[in-house]
Amino acid sequence: MNKAFADIDPVYFEYAQKYLGRFMEINREELFDLLQYCEIRKFDKRTVIVHEGEIDNYLNLVVKGLIRKYVPVRKDEMILQLATEGHVVQSEISFLTKTPSMVVLETLEPTILVSLTYDKMEEALDKFPKGEKLGRMILQGMFIKKDESRYNRLLKSTRERFFEYMDHHPHMLQRVPQKYLASYLQIKPETFSRLKALMAKPKK
Amino acid sequence: MLEPVRQFINRHIELTDEEFKTLASKLHLVNFDKRTKLVDIGEVATNVYFVLKGISRRYFYKGKQEMITHLVKEGSLMGSVISFLTGEPSKYFLETIEPVTAYSLSKKDLEELFAANKKWEKFGRKIITAFFLQTEYHNIDMIRYTTRERFVNFMKQNPDLVLRVPQKYLASYLEIQPETFSRLKHLMVKEK
Repeated sequence: MNKAFADIDPVYFEYAQKYLGRFMEINREELFDLLQYCEIRKFDKRTVIVHEGEIDNYLNLVVKGLIRKYVPVRKDEMILQLATEGHVVQSEISFLTKTPSMVVLETLEPTILVSLTYDKMEEALDKFPKGEKLGRMILQGMFIKKDESRYNRLLKSTRERFFEYMDHHPHMLQRVPQKYLASYLQIKPETFSRLKALMAKPKK
Repeated sequence: MLEPVRQFINRHIELTDEEFKTLASKLHLVNFDKRTKLVDIGEVATNVYFVLKGISRRYFYKGKQEMITHLVKEGSLMGSVISFLTGEPSKYFLETIEPVTAYSLSKKDLEELFAANKKWEKFGRKIITAFFLQTEYHNIDMIRYTTRERFVNFMKQNPDLVLRVPQKYLASYLEIQPETFSRLKHLMVKEK
């Protein structure tokens, strides 16, 4: 076994297995094989791990902590993703096309990532018996998610987006400043506060 | 006629002549009139197309409003791709704007390729990556640029589409109000 993985928290394996399991059945042994290609990276909170203009060479699975991904826009920041345990996060365009990143990745909490470089990914997909299929399924999953988020942004009202997100991610209000959630949901901060107040009222 | 297909694929993955021949044997030349609906909402898409000539759009309805998410012209792939890949009902209409000539590839034939050799899985991944990137570039442009910048960039990059596609479709695709679109167009003509 890869030394880096000799004495890590088994929880990390669970996240990796759960993530990959969405695309195909992966047994324990196969998972260990795949993890040989990965490295573990640890960051303090409030660390920028990908700067604007830098080439992002990593595909990351968050096993602990929280990362925000944002686009610097004029004097503002627009948040694209708030990635927590079990989520995959990266500057996708930069990683896939080897071009300077348009987005910034920053940790908001102390964070641990299981990371794979582009070259190691290609190597793993080539060598691992079901690798190419797995690779296709992962990209397909990423594409579906991206398409869905665009569809939902166009179709759903601010209010619907707010309540759906809060239903699915009830813990995020405790982990992330409200202005970040508002930015992620593309809701004005005042509107966000108003909707939050509505949420707090007991449901009948 | 296969040359544009070859060029398109070369941008994403290298295929040997033999491999390309295998792929080409699965392609069927098809023609559609203008304003032909190729996929309905709720229908499972069974084909994807490589467009040789013509323009199509992909859209859905928000109430009575058409929301156009894709405009596809020659040299690109068209389809309700997610429905095609997953076998789930399409959330979009796919409809031609101009008459379209295209090569079609069926789901069944693609599945056969995937099963035959892992090279085709890689092929699938690279093509899906292209779709992914297209969507992500669009998403990020929507955030990074102002309405005016989006308008100007699009006009510069797609002068042909501006002439061939109804203005209201372009406005919907760029998420710009039709009135704003007209205003920007007038401004641009003046500035010339």
